[in-house]
Amino acid sequence: MSDETTMKSYHGSLKEALDDDFLRQTLDKFAVQYKANRQLIFADINEKGLISEIADHKEESLDHLEELYEQFTKEASRKGVIVHRAATAKDACDLVCSIAKENNVKTIIKSKSMTAEEIHINHALEDAGFIVTETDLGEWIIQLRHEGPSHMVMPAIHLSRGQVAKTFTEETKENQSDDISLLVKVARKELRAKFAEADMGISGANFAVAENGSIAICTNEGNGRLTTTLPRVHVAICGIDKLIPTIHDALRVIKVLPRNATAQAITTYVSWITGAVNCEKDGPGAEKKFHIVFLDNGRTQLIKDSKCRQALRCVRCGACANVCPVYRLVGGHRMGYVYIGAIGLILTYFFHGHERARVLAQNCIGCEACKDVCAAGIDLPDLIQEIRVRLNKEFGSTMDSALLGRLLANRKLFHTLLKFAKFAQLPVKKGPYIRHLPEIFGLGQGFRAMPAIASESFRDMWPAIKPQVVPGAKKVGLFAGCAQDFIYPGQLKAAVTVLSKLGVNVEFPEAQSCCGLPVQMMGQRQSAITTAKNNIQAFKESNVDYVLTLCASCASHMKNRYQELLEGENMEADVKAFSDKVIDFSSFLTDVVKVKPETFVQGDEKVGYHYPCHLVRGLGVTEAPKTLLKAAAKYQPAPEEDVCCGFGGTYSVKFPEISGVLLGSKLKNLEESGATCVVTDCPGCFMQLNGGAVKQGGKLKVEHMAEFLARHLAK
Amino acid sequence: MSNINAAAVDLFIAKAKPVTIQVSTANNLDEAMNFALDLCDKQPLGKLMLDTGAPPDESRKKTFSAPGVDEKLWGYLVDGGSKKGFEMIRGGLRKYLAGIDMSFTVADLGIADTASCVVECQSEDERLAAMICERHVVALSKSKIVSESYEAEPFLKAAMAKERNYTAFISGPSRTADIERVLTLGVHGPLELYLVLLEN
Repeated sequence: MSDETTMKSYHGSLKEALDDDFLRQTLDKFAVQYKANRQLIFADINEKGLISEIADHKEESLDHLEELYEQFTKEASRKGVIVHRAATAKDACDLVCSIAKENNVKTIIKSKSMTAEEIHINHALEDAGFIVTETDLGEWIIQLRHEGPSHMVMPAIHLSRGQVAKTFTEETKENQSDDISLLVKVARKELRAKFAEADMGISGANFAVAENGSIAICTNEGNGRLTTTLPRVHVAICGIDKLIPTIHDALRVIKVLPRNATAQAITTYVSWITGAVNCEKDGPGAEKKFHIVFLDNGRTQLIKDSKCRQALRCVRCGACANVCPVYRLVGGHRMGYVYIGAIGLILTYFFHGHERARVLAQNCIGCEACKDVCAAGIDLPDLIQEIRVRLNKEFGSTMDSALLGRLLANRKLFHTLLKFAKFAQLPVKKGPYIRHLPEIFGLGQGFRAMPAIASESFRDMWPAIKPQVVPGAKKVGLFAGCAQDFIYPGQLKAAVTVLSKLGVNVEFPEAQSCCGLPVQMMGQRQSAITTAKNNIQAFKESNVDYVLTLCASCASHMKNRYQELLEGENMEADVKAFSDKVIDFSSFLTDVVKVKPETFVQGDEKVGYHYPCHLVRGLGVTEAPKTLLKAAAKYQPAPEEDVCCGFGGTYSVKFPEISGVLLGSKLKNLEESGATCVVTDCPGCFMQLNGGAVKQGGKLKVEHMAEFLARHLAK
Repeated sequence: MSNINAAAVDLFIAKAKPVTIQVSTANNLDEAMNFALDLCDKQPLGKLMLDTGAPPDESRKKTFSAPGVDEKLWGYLVDGGSKKGFEMIRGGLRKYLAGIDMSFTVADLGIADTASCVVECQSEDERLAAMICERHVVALSKSKIVSESYEAEPFLKAAMAKERNYTAFISGPSRTADIERVLTLGVHGPLELYLVLLEN
């Protein structure tokens, strides 16, 4: 549970996590195993099709939520269930406390519920004098330790068996060994007694099915079944977003939820509860008092928020944390307040106050791994960026992000400043790199060599290298992007060489500017809109067949985001025409030019590949780069080729401690693969990988695909 | 026999293995009940989970429950169980929260692609029987196995249309991986789940 409200204290907390060897090893192992297991468990079903169906049906349910609530209430009431609705977390806590009081409850058992965590029900019940025991093993452990969950499905994943043994020793006043099977037996015995005596059981609900007023609960341990069976009172706490029309809707989600959560085909138990079932605690023939508390806590407001309401599709599988490279390094206590992972950054803003999300919302590297696996197809990185925009509006931007925003929106000023910087950097420049920077500029950046601004930008060299026009050939407009235009113009030059050799006409519309992604990432939406418009205009005038870029991030941003960004600007047709033409360098060569292997000289260099996040996930490109690599060298596969290198644009400046560790893992994997060179399709990734490789002594050569191919062109 | 979906049966058996359901087959319910009785007989005496104050009684009778079965099956079980010296329990399971050695259940439906036994547990005793035992034997007729969950919808719809209903998908023994992600069976419910597939 991260409650840090200043960047400084948050950085301190991140360092603590990074220094926790057990946490690091556990999450590392989990990240690798989860990915492999997930792939296997999804092998026999249509993953993308199901996810898109879930998204559509959840949206429809949100459209009709009030009707579903009415239908559910009518059905459930008819069957003896008492349905409540709580507007706020406090209302929900008060309601549950009053139900407990009315029923002379003393002891309460709980099965796992994130909604109950959301409202901090345990505190409210304990303050009111009730004895509350969590019965999910992980939840019980963290309850005994007075901690919050560090994962939505595996709440105690941050703890070692030794820590659990110590906690159980204190609880049972008996010495407990750290044998996991024995620790589980301790829980079985201790908690059975709690089940036997409890007066009230509190559960969550994965689904509230309107057509028959039933709820469904998925658990592996079976504690949910005992919680809803043994005590004479059952209270289910359920977000109103869990309302769905039919059993079919629940079955559809069940096909994905356990697969995504823990790579299981299904949880061991799925319990479907209808009506006030019999309960013999008070003797034969007695009925259970069954209450359902529907929690709003900002949800109906969120439904009206056309941009962010998709967050309410979440089925709480926790997969967004499972694949997050940042979560993998720092764990859930630094990646959420109550809800964890990418969805945690978002829901904290909506459910637990904007102030609490200010720092947390910055800690997304934008790699889109979460979006790629989300069970409900939520565009999580986009929503996090949107929240940054709103936080900037509400609390004001930081000085650096506001300045960058204004600067990038003014192309001429930006380019003039870069030219000035070329001279200003001379005192600290050493070859193509910046020497040791004064601490004020280079805070925490020691993990990589920082590139200097090139002595001649691409736009300055263009008139001299512009190839002759081939009549009738395809015409591409080169979109340079800031990094290649001003830092790595050689990569663009290499691309021009390759394209000319293949008989492609190349144009360079000079009015182009930054793609706008860096300012979008920092929540400077207006600047992102201005740069987008500027680029569309610049390319419209040059009338090209393709907008070709060597930067995966620029490509993905221009192709996937411009349309939404420029909604309402009255330029739909222009935006679509532009976005449709955007293509990355590797795909252009394999899919459009259909380049032949003999174009290149096959060498015996062992070359690895790093997938830029925005290429593999942003654009869905997987095969093109490898096809090209194999035509010119010996492709050397490395583990986790598609995991983020830690660059993330401004992220690496904001969170250098995390960026550096991600880079370290990436380089280690590449070195261990036996590759002597690594190729990538993004100048940002290049900057990161090359910066790290240089810092480590330069044994590993890093190249952009364009330079690599230019070097292997057949004469 | 024509109403058996052989592909679904094979799929169920294949999917049961990874979720640690131990599958066997029998010609009829009598055989399935004999299997449960024999299994209970062979297993060591279960450990009690509640302190009753008295010292552990190693000479206590093994307990066998089957609250969901009809009169005829119950008669058969009592007959067999008594001969083996079991305490046979059909109701009042709350008195046995410390633990039961064996429970026997007849499933209403099977879902092949997730190896799920669908059990409608109208009474509290049926729900408890499946949860507080150390070992659980479930009998399932092959003819009641469907390929995947959407095919179970008519059954679920009818069950949940009732005034009171508690239906469960059970897909293995109670499990947890909450400590260091190490899979451990029997955290709250059964340590082992046996499925007997019936030809008839």
